[in-house]
Amino acid sequence: MRVLLVEDDTGLAEHLMRALQGDEHEVDVAHDGLSGEELALRKSYDVIVIDRMLKHKNGDLVVKDLRAAGVSTPVLFVSALAETEHRIEGLNAGANDYVGKPFDTNEVLARVKALWHGRNPDQPATRLAVGDLEMDLLGRTVHRRGRKIDLQPREFRLLEYLMRHAGRTVTRKMLLENVWEIHFDPQTNVIDVHVSRLRSKIDREFDVPMLHTVRGSGYRLEV
Amino acid sequence: MRPSLANLFQTTTFRLGVVQASVVLVFVVVLLSYVYVATIGQLLAEADRSAETEFRALERVYGAGGIRQLTEEIEQRQSRRSDLVYALTQTNGALAAGAAFDLDPPPGADPQRVEFRYRRLGEDGAVLTPRARGLQARLLGGPILVVASDLSAADRISARLTGGLVTVALFGILLAVVSGLLAARQAARRAEALARTTREVMMGDLAARAVVRGAGDEFDQLARGLNAMLSRLERLVHATRSASDAIAHDLRTPLSRQRQRLEAALKHPPDSARDRSALLAAFEENDQLLTTFQAVLRIARVETEANWTFSPVDLSALAADIFDLYSPAAEEVGLHLDAAIVPGLACWGEQTLLQQALSNLIENAFKYVPVGGRVRIAVRPHGPDDVEIEISDDGPGVPPEDRERILRRHERLDQSRATEGLGLGLSLVKAIARLHRGELKLRDGQPGGPNRPGLSAALVLPRPNKRTP
Repeated sequence: MRVLLVEDDTGLAEHLMRALQGDEHEVDVAHDGLSGEELALRKSYDVIVIDRMLKHKNGDLVVKDLRAAGVSTPVLFVSALAETEHRIEGLNAGANDYVGKPFDTNEVLARVKALWHGRNPDQPATRLAVGDLEMDLLGRTVHRRGRKIDLQPREFRLLEYLMRHAGRTVTRKMLLENVWEIHFDPQTNVIDVHVSRLRSKIDREFDVPMLHTVRGSGYRLEV
Repeated sequence: MRPSLANLFQTTTFRLGVVQASVVLVFVVVLLSYVYVATIGQLLAEADRSAETEFRALERVYGAGGIRQLTEEIEQRQSRRSDLVYALTQTNGALAAGAAFDLDPPPGADPQRVEFRYRRLGEDGAVLTPRARGLQARLLGGPILVVASDLSAADRISARLTGGLVTVALFGILLAVVSGLLAARQAARRAEALARTTREVMMGDLAARAVVRGAGDEFDQLARGLNAMLSRLERLVHATRSASDAIAHDLRTPLSRQRQRLEAALKHPPDSARDRSALLAAFEENDQLLTTFQAVLRIARVETEANWTFSPVDLSALAADIFDLYSPAAEEVGLHLDAAIVPGLACWGEQTLLQQALSNLIENAFKYVPVGGRVRIAVRPHGPDDVEIEISDDGPGVPPEDRERILRRHERLDQSRATEGLGLGLSLVKAIARLHRGELKLRDGQPGGPNRPGLSAALVLPRPNKRTP
């Protein structure tokens, strides 16, 4: 995957670049808004990771102008402005996701992948399937190997999110934001309990576990 | 800086005053001019009429009795009427009767209007030369007859009116300038008082306030507005100040600790196991620091009333979501979490902050309530205008005398307690309550046995229809 990274802090840019390269991405780095925009217009990328406060041209403006120029590449904002209203501003500027600084490197890596895979949503699906796990979105039912699994509404949404991101790591933060719509960090590790309950329902009676814990990052659903 | 005279001339009040006075002045001048024209015109018309009547009458006397009778008649009339001047010359030009004066040019046979000055003695014996106007003509056979009205009365009135007009104009101009200056000085004084207040504030005295005189005029309105603005400014500046103090306080200590630890690690010769554990400790401390920083920053943003976007928030749904989020975790730590939520209750607020407040209160209960205890989330109406959202537990509670104290920053009831806590959770909840023009109330919760009065923390928040603070 080709990633454009626009970040004016050279140390942080270097660190993120190595992390992204370690995840097998091709990375171009720009250190200010103008050269970032120029690169984004000249070459084609799969995902753009961009800071909001940049030299020469701020990130909001870069994204707005890119969108106006017809560039629809998914954009992940990485910003020290991390309050709810900043998030909303950033998304309104045309970004697809938002991570507040300081962040966990894995958080950024997971979101970059999620953005790339989520960028062409198939026809509004009525069924999701991962291995022998099947979800009927209309009938709100879940089966594994033909056996019905009863889920609470929230567990259903949690599983749906995991299935839509099957094969990729999703962080606790992503789950909090997308399943519970909570944009702050609870001190208690509330997500783990929800996931372990879900795991007990979909994995316990089967010999192959599907819901894996990724140490230090989050969870992954895969065959 | 006292307003100087030159400054006064520049003021709006002065200019307005002068403009207004000028309008009145113009009106008065127009009025007096009309009176002048009408009065003098009337007087002159009357003078012309009586001179003409007399002239015609004397013409008839001449026609009937010739120059002789006319001479007699004129002498008779002259003694009777002081308002008329007569003159009659013989054919050869010698004066036959009446007053003597030069007539130029010599008249023709048709009566012709004339105006002239003539001499006569006043009542006090002085020689006067009043104006007169009337008719003159050369009568049949050569004598010249002149009959004119004395205009001294009209001229006297005219002089008085003109004098009055000039006086009024001069006096009016003076009055306009003086009253304009007085009004301007009055206004300038009050404006200067307001300006002084703003200067005091600029010099750093945030407590300075403008004087409100209670007259209810525009200056009072301005002063009230200014004072309200200054009060808010003062509050925000204090909040910002105490926030930066708090940030310094909250971050210096752990930063220094981290620095010492790293310094100690650097003093030793390299040892990969020890270095690694030092690094790990520094890493954890760093994370803790970032969390603290985030919390302190958030409190500061809430306290300084940064631009939060408020909207109606369904508190019942919000509480139900939080309940749903925490109940598995509660079970995991051996607590019974239950909910008593009246559906459909909303408040005017900021969703994320309210979620955070509620989750802080629940996590607080998780920290202090012993295993097997109960925690309840309740949402219910509170009076006609407010909604109450309450987290109550049956834990050890907080003695009433300590409740005020634990709402302050960094206060934990039992400092020696092993529970990890930042001591910032409750102060954030309190700040959130204040931002929402609501209240955080602490009282006894559900009794849980001996020495367990429990703790109830209730947020009272205004409903959406009670929008104005």
